[in-house]
Amino acid sequence: MQDKKTKLSKAILDMKFMKKTKERVQKEEEDAEGQTMYANEITEEMRKSGNIVFMETSICSCKSLMEGRLSFGGMNPDIENYMAIKYSPKLEEIEKQMGTDVSDAEMAKGYSTLVNTMAKKFTDKKKRHVNS
Amino acid sequence: MTIKPGDFVMPGDILHDLDNIKGITLIGPGLRQNTEPNSLIVSRAGFLCHKPANIYWIETAHKRYIPKKGDLVVGIVVKKSGDTLKVDIGGAELASLSLLAFEGATKKQKPDLLVGDAVYAKLLSAHREMEPELVCIDKYYKAGNLGPLSSDGFIITVLPSLVYRLLNIEHPLLRSLGKKFPFEIAIGMNGKIWFNSKSVKDTVTLMNCLFAAEQQSDKDIYELCKQ
Repeated sequence: MQDKKTKLSKAILDMKFMKKTKERVQKEEEDAEGQTMYANEITEEMRKSGNIVFMETSICSCKSLMEGRLSFGGMNPDIENYMAIKYSPKLEEIEKQMGTDVSDAEMAKGYSTLVNTMAKKFTDKKKRHVNS
Repeated sequence: MTIKPGDFVMPGDILHDLDNIKGITLIGPGLRQNTEPNSLIVSRAGFLCHKPANIYWIETAHKRYIPKKGDLVVGIVVKKSGDTLKVDIGGAELASLSLLAFEGATKKQKPDLLVGDAVYAKLLSAHREMEPELVCIDKYYKAGNLGPLSSDGFIITVLPSLVYRLLNIEHPLLRSLGKKFPFEIAIGMNGKIWFNSKSVKDTVTLMNCLFAAEQQSDKDIYELCKQ
């Protein structure tokens, strides 16, 4: 294979107009060298499964933290404008979710009042008058 | 024995069977790539956390700040030399901040920053072997919410755990304080918090609240804020 590929001689590569080609040839050589160097370290298993690539991130993205520059009550209008874009939509989303969470407790409360009203229905009319 | 998310782990423990998306797994603080492929080694004692689909990190009670790329921090200028500032961000080394890394800054027109001023900046690079580098612009050369902080404000240092709690958008403390009096705040991931309000009384109240919150559990704070 290598014999078929024509190789440019060093003298030609050193010529001024061959600068780009020279760079390319050098890169190819380096790549080939690197591949042979690491070829024996790559196991069959690695080739089969493909490795997990680990990327390091900061804890901000792990815990999806917001940006810490905030302003409340009109102290810094610039920051509040900025917050309107980034902070408020997220907050609304969270509040919606929280709203559903709270409704569970409210549901329980509602049920207990319902029980009372139902109980009222089954009490005697005289007693109901006394109660109310 | 396999380690599940939520377990207490010690340095040297090895994690296998990690979730990934297209072969990519994100790791946060406390984890390091193991020499064996497709596994991680724990480098800090703490609780293993996992966020679906592919994020893992260790949650620990630590006090020291380790600079990490992309963190938003509050720093204090400690030295000014030529075009660069040296900024104390609480890490092992001072961070460098170029005067040209501000919005609209040119060689002739640089921002007027003095030793002792506070800045809210983003960590552009943070390597173990190099000094951290800060910038006050985003990738579109806009300042956004970064930049110098007014010298009227006040800076305190709190535990990183409080910072993580405050920056959780569900946390109600800052919002409920915001209903009581106007203030602005810059919370750095490095545990430094800068804040400013219209009166000294409010500033002191805010400081006391933050110090108290450091000691209190989230549950108590939620209860108090509901009132």
